[in-house]
Amino acid sequence: MFVIVTYDVNEKRVNKVRKILKKYFTWVQNSVFEGEITYGKLEKCKRELFSVIEKDEDSVYFYEMEYKIVCNKKILGQEKNYDSVIL
Amino acid sequence: MQKTLYITSNGRLRRKDNTLYFETETEKRSIDIENIEQIHIFGEVDLNTKALNYISQYGIILHFYNYYGFYAGSFVPRKKSVSGDVVVRQALHYLDKEKRIFLAYCFVESAVYHMMRNLRERKEAEAFLNAIEDEWENGRFNISSISELMGLEGRVRNIYYSSFNQFLPEDFYMEKREKRPPTNPINALISFGNSLIYSTVLTEIYHTQLDPSISFLHEPSEKRFSLSLDISEIFKPLIVDSVIFKLLNNRQITLEHFDEDLNYCYLNQEGRKIFINELRNKLETTVRHRQLNRNVSYKGYIRLECYKLIKHFIGDQVYSPLKAWW
Repeated sequence: MFVIVTYDVNEKRVNKVRKILKKYFTWVQNSVFEGEITYGKLEKCKRELFSVIEKDEDSVYFYEMEYKIVCNKKILGQEKNYDSVIL
Repeated sequence: MQKTLYITSNGRLRRKDNTLYFETETEKRSIDIENIEQIHIFGEVDLNTKALNYISQYGIILHFYNYYGFYAGSFVPRKKSVSGDVVVRQALHYLDKEKRIFLAYCFVESAVYHMMRNLRERKEAEAFLNAIEDEWENGRFNISSISELMGLEGRVRNIYYSSFNQFLPEDFYMEKREKRPPTNPINALISFGNSLIYSTVLTEIYHTQLDPSISFLHEPSEKRFSLSLDISEIFKPLIVDSVIFKLLNNRQITLEHFDEDLNYCYLNQEGRKIFINELRNKLETTVRHRQLNRNVSYKGYIRLECYKLIKHFIGDQVYSPLKAWW
């Protein structure tokens, strides 16, 4: 599945959240990650995040799509190719 | 689903923030380590044990290639799926001459089938197609040893390669297949593609219980993971050759993508990127599997081939090699 993750977290924990998300997704913009992932891994990622964030203060949004094609991504301005697999 | 990463530039792989980073002089990129299955390294890359330990935790395989794009070796983390039973039975199939020839024949049969499949659509190659068919039909029933089989395969392959001149652009004229080192562009392409397939197959074998060093067509004493050479036979014409035809006939790769030196020739960085990209697309292309009734990628078919071998070894189902039906 294809997932877009955005987060708004207290500054104290923002780095912890970012480091966890980096393992599972590709960084797109400040506070935004995206990428293809399996259900199991997504669940694992959520658990990891849950142990870090403060429930009544922080929020992490997951936009989950069954297939990547469903997500019609349009870009204005610079496209930064962070998810290419050829480095 | 799991991604394959290709590193063609120079830089450093390092563990940082509990994930993997690839740093070059100009940029720094984090890698989503959870989704990586294997990394092919073509550039000059530094890495330390800290990174290797972390990589092995995730069961990621690193494949290294030398300056000329030849396979140098792999870093394979501790194998997690082992089964002594399968290995013993696999070895038994090697020891029994009849059983060994059967498997070796299967690999060659499938390879020849795919070679003929490649030529079938091309009018210019019809004569060669008939020549291959003659050679193969005459030879296939009087094989009594592995070396005879190898000889037959070599003759078929010679005809196959000589047909390339009929439909590939003139710049890529091939006198004969040359390895170590390839001396002209087309040989360089074939060698590069084959070494990529070889390591991809190795990755798939790693995820099954098979032992990559016990092989049937190739002698297992060649100091290499020769089972992946065996299985690659099936996929070399099916995947690599069709990618080469496509790239050359669409002029995506031209002579300017090669560096030629005194007596050898190899793809430059730009050319490698184009080739890898196309090969990756091919490996991810899916075809509906008739028995499984779902879409399976070319890479998936490599894994299925391994499973079929296991089934054969444990006496569950007789091995029948892949013959592309699409």
